[in-house]
Amino acid sequence: MTTFWPLFKRELFAFFVTPLAWVLIVVFLLVQGMHFYLLIDHFTSQAVPTGDETPISAFFGNTVLLYLVLFVVIPALTMRLFAEERRSGTIEMLLTAPVSSASVVLAKYAAAVTTYGAMWLPTLLYVVILRRTGTLDLRVTASAYLGVLLVGAGYLSLGVCASAVTRSQLIATSLTSLVLVSLFIVGLGEFVVRQGTTAQAICAYVSVWGHMNDFASGIVDSRRIVFYGTMIALPLFVATRVVDAWKWG
Amino acid sequence: MITVSHLSKRYGSRLAIDDVSFEVAKGEVVGFLGPNGAGKSTTLRILAGFLGPTAGVVSIAGHDVVTDPIEARRSIGYMPESVPLYPEMRVVEYLRFRAELKRVARGRRSTYVDEAMSRAGVVDVANRRIDQLSKGYRQRVGLADAIVAKPPIVVLDEPTSGLDPNQIRDARAVVRELGREHAVVISTHVLSEVEACATRVILLHRGKLVAEGPPATLRTLCRSRPVALTVRGDLASVKNAIRSIPRVTGCELEGKPALETCAIHVTFDPELSSEQRGYLVERCVAELVTSGFGVRDVRELGGSLEDAFAELTREVEPGVQRSRGRDSSAP
Repeated sequence: MTTFWPLFKRELFAFFVTPLAWVLIVVFLLVQGMHFYLLIDHFTSQAVPTGDETPISAFFGNTVLLYLVLFVVIPALTMRLFAEERRSGTIEMLLTAPVSSASVVLAKYAAAVTTYGAMWLPTLLYVVILRRTGTLDLRVTASAYLGVLLVGAGYLSLGVCASAVTRSQLIATSLTSLVLVSLFIVGLGEFVVRQGTTAQAICAYVSVWGHMNDFASGIVDSRRIVFYGTMIALPLFVATRVVDAWKWG
Repeated sequence: MITVSHLSKRYGSRLAIDDVSFEVAKGEVVGFLGPNGAGKSTTLRILAGFLGPTAGVVSIAGHDVVTDPIEARRSIGYMPESVPLYPEMRVVEYLRFRAELKRVARGRRSTYVDEAMSRAGVVDVANRRIDQLSKGYRQRVGLADAIVAKPPIVVLDEPTSGLDPNQIRDARAVVRELGREHAVVISTHVLSEVEACATRVILLHRGKLVAEGPPATLRTLCRSRPVALTVRGDLASVKNAIRSIPRVTGCELEGKPALETCAIHVTFDPELSSEQRGYLVERCVAELVTSGFGVRDVRELGGSLEDAFAELTREVEPGVQRSRGRDSSAP
């Protein structure tokens, strides 16, 4: 693991020295900024607040805008991690250095998660704005941010795995999008499949939509933590084995 | 330093390396020679730990590449054939990253990087981005990377491909110098290269080790090599006498004839075994002596490395070659 740190630094450097990360951050913040503006407009136009909806629960839950941007941003963040190194051949330099496959996978993943976190960082300004103008439950806000971080971390892990199985960045992106969208649609089955059936229970368990609504309302359920823990660990494990397997190809 | 025994590598149904064994000691520069697709790069990639062997044992400085891969890789500095580098990094940044990755202690890192840059001759481009470098400089950055952690073993896959003649000469000088303190393995299909810097040659063909030894020894394996004779007598009649012997393919004057002697090079049918060839040399001498000429000197000359290479890499499948010859002569 002594090699984790240099690998992590180099990956982060690669994200921010190329325009890719900056383009993604700009796109992400434009969408989120528009989203925030619409929400504030909506809430201020209401004479009397209805229900238990708050700007935080509406910003993070019950909105498709969050997922639409993630389906674009996440695959773009992870596509190059392994695919580019294999295409350009630099993987040969990397894997002939005294590094373990696990530290390579973890360093690349950690760099992607850090970049993802950096994307969300400016949105904390919205929290500051909301606190200036009204009351805000900080614990709910923290829970919502934990939610987007977990969902993002799980998605990024799948993206890392997809990037390891192909040499083509295009295929890596498409594969990641396909898996993420499929998972999302299966989750929506929660509302479509007949109540009380096993299928409906499974759909509810994997429903990102449902998870984010809970997190955005301040509910941190240990089942969700286990679910995302698995969704992070399993693809990373598979990616490590894939990296090991290249030797024997 | 390197011990390889009964190494094989299979890609699907194709056997890329077939039961190859060799050793490399400290202070040696071993050149892997062979036509394209002979298994040179595959062998070096296995040494470097990028590929795993299908069968056999590879030990690098006492560490098995399969069971102890990290320690094995720590003992080796490897430069892949195409010298892939991160294009967006500056040369000095890249080498610092590589030194850290190869676990050079923090305190020694910048000294090691500086030394590697001056040995490889990239000091003047230290702050340039790698994607702005010429092929020659990229190659040298790859070389600097291979030696940056001062590993006991340096493996370079085609270190001079794509370089101009001056750069080739510089690169060979560096390789020779490396040979003094490291065990060096290079691969090439340029024959003059192994003569210029290798102390030993390993010739691969179709995944098999077909010959091994110092370049000079390899030359003597060349069957079409000539025998030099110094004969007293008239040149034309000497030539006639030699040419009348069956299976002699050539008899040429070498240099200018002296006052009463002439030096000639006699070549024989390359299909002959070395024993038959020896008898034929005896017969030439006997023929000259009985014809009244004086034989003053008989010497075996080394053939060209090119000929040895061509013969050895063709010989593995004589059946194929011969049957093809017969087919073409058939009406």
